Amino acid sequence: MNKDSEKKDDQQPNEEQSNSSSLVQKIQALGQTNVPQAPDSNIHVLSIVGQVEGHIQLPPQNKTTKYEHLLPQLVAIEQNPKIEGLVILLNTVGGDVEAGLALSEMISSISKPTVSIVLGGGHSIGVPIAVSADYSFIVPTATMTIHPVRLTGLVIGVPQTFEYLDKMQDRVINFVVNHSNIKEEKFKDLMFAKGNLTRDIGTNVVGTDAVEYGLIDAVGGVKEAMEKVNELINNQRGNQQEVIQ
Amino acid sequence: MILYTPLSENDVFPTNETDYTNRQCVSYNGKSCYVEQTENGEYRILQLLSTDPKDFLDMSYTPGNIIK
Repeated sequence: MNKDSEKKDDQQPNEEQSNSSSLVQKIQALGQTNVPQAPDSNIHVLSIVGQVEGHIQLPPQNKTTKYEHLLPQLVAIEQNPKIEGLVILLNTVGGDVEAGLALSEMISSISKPTVSIVLGGGHSIGVPIAVSADYSFIVPTATMTIHPVRLTGLVIGVPQTFEYLDKMQDRVINFVVNHSNIKEEKFKDLMFAKGNLTRDIGTNVVGTDAVEYGLIDAVGGVKEAMEKVNELINNQRGNQQEVIQ
Repeated sequence: MILYTPLSENDVFPTNETDYTNRQCVSYNGKSCYVEQTENGEYRILQLLSTDPKDFLDMSYTPGNIIK
């Protein structure tokens, strides 16, 4: 008994110390001491931020989204019967074409309802990821830069590289055209437009314009996205019940 | 200094190898986290890799938290 109580006495100061230090950490990290608790969610959230990292690891000062992290999560979402819907949050500057297309194809082939929200920016390869969801939203202030696919760094064999990039660009264009309401001509017009970007060809499409062009389904934020995903979940439940009957 | 070159910034100034090695992806209580090793050998959470919004409300996965 004595030993036990002594032990407790010994531990208490330590615990208090760790409690106060974790409190300080929380304030440093979040600017607040406690966050609200919530019940189990049937909707999962996938955030795609910073650069979409491809086959080469980017230096640590870059904020990146790695496909090797996201692809297994997407499979887990598809497999878990408790998860009924997925919300994708996008704030990306673009990145690796093949990694971005891999994510887009995974999201578009998930059987559960998916809704995406473009916040801040969904540039370059962020465009196919945004349109890959069943329904896409963009906040009014968000922008999407549409420009030709290109390569930085060393180029070996210009004609071959050009053809390779051209093919890669066609894959992006085809994906976007197939998964959104934009016409191929319109998307190409935006991609190769001159005079919109100061040092480049392409177009910077702002929230409402993206909806006008048919690229994104609607202007809206979290509230609209959650309403939509719940509506899609209810539709799917209804369909399943009909099949059973 | 102004550079005029077709090379990317990284080809001109390669990143230090050790910058990569002190960061890694670990599983902490069944959730995968992206962590950074601090100078005294502890691991600090940089990012929680989860799609469950509930995990983000769990205090122990707050970015900046030190884990053993």
